[in-house]
Amino acid sequence: MTITSSIAIIILAALIHASFQLSVSVLTLMSGHAIGKRTAHTKLLRLMSGFTVGAGVMTMLLVSFTAYVTGSVFGNDAPLVLWAACCGILVGVGVSVWRFYYRSGRGTSLWIPRGIANYLHDRSKSTKQSAEAFGLGLSSVAGELLFVAAPIIITSLVLIHLSPAWQLLGILIYTVIASLPLLIVGALIGSGHKLSHIQRWRESNKHFLQFAAGSGLLVLGAYVYVEQVLNATVVAAGGR
Amino acid sequence: MAVSTMQPKAIDIVKRSGKRPSERFDAEKLHASIRAACLSVRSPDGEADTTALAVTDLVIVWCATKPEVTSHDLRRVASRHLEKFHPEAAYLYEQHRTII
Repeated sequence: MTITSSIAIIILAALIHASFQLSVSVLTLMSGHAIGKRTAHTKLLRLMSGFTVGAGVMTMLLVSFTAYVTGSVFGNDAPLVLWAACCGILVGVGVSVWRFYYRSGRGTSLWIPRGIANYLHDRSKSTKQSAEAFGLGLSSVAGELLFVAAPIIITSLVLIHLSPAWQLLGILIYTVIASLPLLIVGALIGSGHKLSHIQRWRESNKHFLQFAAGSGLLVLGAYVYVEQVLNATVVAAGGR
Repeated sequence: MAVSTMQPKAIDIVKRSGKRPSERFDAEKLHASIRAACLSVRSPDGEADTTALAVTDLVIVWCATKPEVTSHDLRRVASRHLEKFHPEAAYLYEQHRTII
């Protein structure tokens, strides 16, 4: 696998991660409560920054941890069967996202366990300090682990092939791209845009985002399968 | 700050999931939630207060003939009235439970 194709896979996986919406929903809700309580603008910015940094740190930790575990178990070269299994997971999650990601009805309610959703809802209401917002950011990424696990696992498989410098760059690229929606929504709210406009946009485009995330997972699964599994099988068969 | 010009009669509010116990209708709580919705779409303080007061009064009138209402109905009716005064705030008020 070349550096270019490795980075391309990491970028596509990060874009898929970025299209998942739980962190953006929690950020919207937390900002809504803060503005509704007449929180000072600088404090609102601090809360949003704390949240975004928390989500970024959790993303970085998850990618690093998964890559570390994968590297410790398989060294620098993951077995073919693991690549094939991960492609299966990508396709399975992709189809699930197409089918289940949003709950039916109005709003942007997600198909995550209601206990987690209620917990995040209640915490976003009672968050008053930057440290709490940081913790909420961490929790919001963890709450969506069911969906973000697939792009994170494939990124970790790609990362173990790279040199340490490229690994660091790969983790950084993944984290920045996955956090982009939070940075954009934070900038919009911070610059005075109405939450209702942001939420309306999210609601009216939710099916597109769902389709994009699901399709992205399928495309990534197919690409990695051809590049890592089929290619290796054909080369091995040709060498006989 | 006056919460409402009308005195609500004692009404029980049945909570959404049915798991939490019912509670008495609290006009102040309703007023605060509508005011917060208006403020969260960047309405000025005065406008938010006036709108919340008007909507709270309309909800009290709606409640007058009922011995108990669900919290979901209360939100739906408040949102319907809020729509006339402030559509953006009404949208967020209605979406509150369906954002996550």
